[in-house]
Amino acid sequence: MDDRLLAPEAVRLDEHAANRDDAIRRCGGVLVEIGAVDPAYVTAMLDREQSISTYVGAGVAIPHGTTAGKAAIRRDALAVVRFPAGVDWGGNHVTTCVAIAAQGDGHIELLADLAELLLDPERARALHEAADPDDVRRLLLSSAPN
Amino acid sequence: MTTINGAAVRKVVIACDAGMGSSAMLAGQLRRQLGKHSVAVEHTPVDTIPADADVVICHQGLAERARISAPDTIIVPIQVFIGDPAVTRVVKAVQTGGDLDG
Repeated sequence: MDDRLLAPEAVRLDEHAANRDDAIRRCGGVLVEIGAVDPAYVTAMLDREQSISTYVGAGVAIPHGTTAGKAAIRRDALAVVRFPAGVDWGGNHVTTCVAIAAQGDGHIELLADLAELLLDPERARALHEAADPDDVRRLLLSSAPN
Repeated sequence: MTTINGAAVRKVVIACDAGMGSSAMLAGQLRRQLGKHSVAVEHTPVDTIPADADVVICHQGLAERARISAPDTIIVPIQVFIGDPAVTRVVKAVQTGGDLDG
C-alpha cells in the first residue's frame, strides 16, 4: 500500500470536535503532525470551507485548502480523521473526514475510489466503523497505484 | 442557452477553486466513465477554463464565475459531487448521443 499518500499515522479513528471549524483544525493538525503541510495550511482549509462546503455525502467531508494555501504544502498527503460522535457540517452529519493536501494529481484515483465506495452502503459503513487503521487504508487504497 | 450533442463532446472540464478536493474526486469518477468514449476529463480553476472545453461542470456556487470565464460553453451546475443527477445526464448524453443544454 502507498505509505506516503495515506500513512498509517495519518489515520485517526477516535477524535472529538465541538463543531465544524474545530474538526477542520483537528484534520489540519494531523496533516501538520505528519509533516505534509505548514500550519498556515490550516487557515487555508478554514477559508476554503467558508466559500463552499466540502461535504460530499454519506457522512463524509473532504476538507482541503485554497489555491493560495498550496504554498504551505510540503508534500502531497491525505489523512482520515473520524469523529464517532459526529459533527454538524452546515446541516449535514459528518463522522469521517478525508483531509487533503495536494499540489499534484497523485491522489485522484484514491478520491475516485472513495466516491465509488460511498455509493455502496455496505462499504461506506465499513469506512465509518472499521476498528483498525489498516482496514481503513485497505478500503481506500484498493486500486491506487503503489 | 447553448446546446451540444453528447457524441460531439471531446473535453469535459470540472471547474473549481483549488482543484484538489471535490472536483478532483469527480474528475476521477468521470474519467473512468467517459474514458472509453474518447472524452478527455480535466479539472481546472474556474477562472482558467481551457478554450477547447465542450462541457464545464461546477458547483452551483461557482456557476456565475464559470459563465464569465467560458461564455460560449455549456455550463452544468451541480449541488453534490457524488451521484448528482446533472452529472448522470452528461454521462448519458456522451454514451447515447443525446443533446445537452446549459
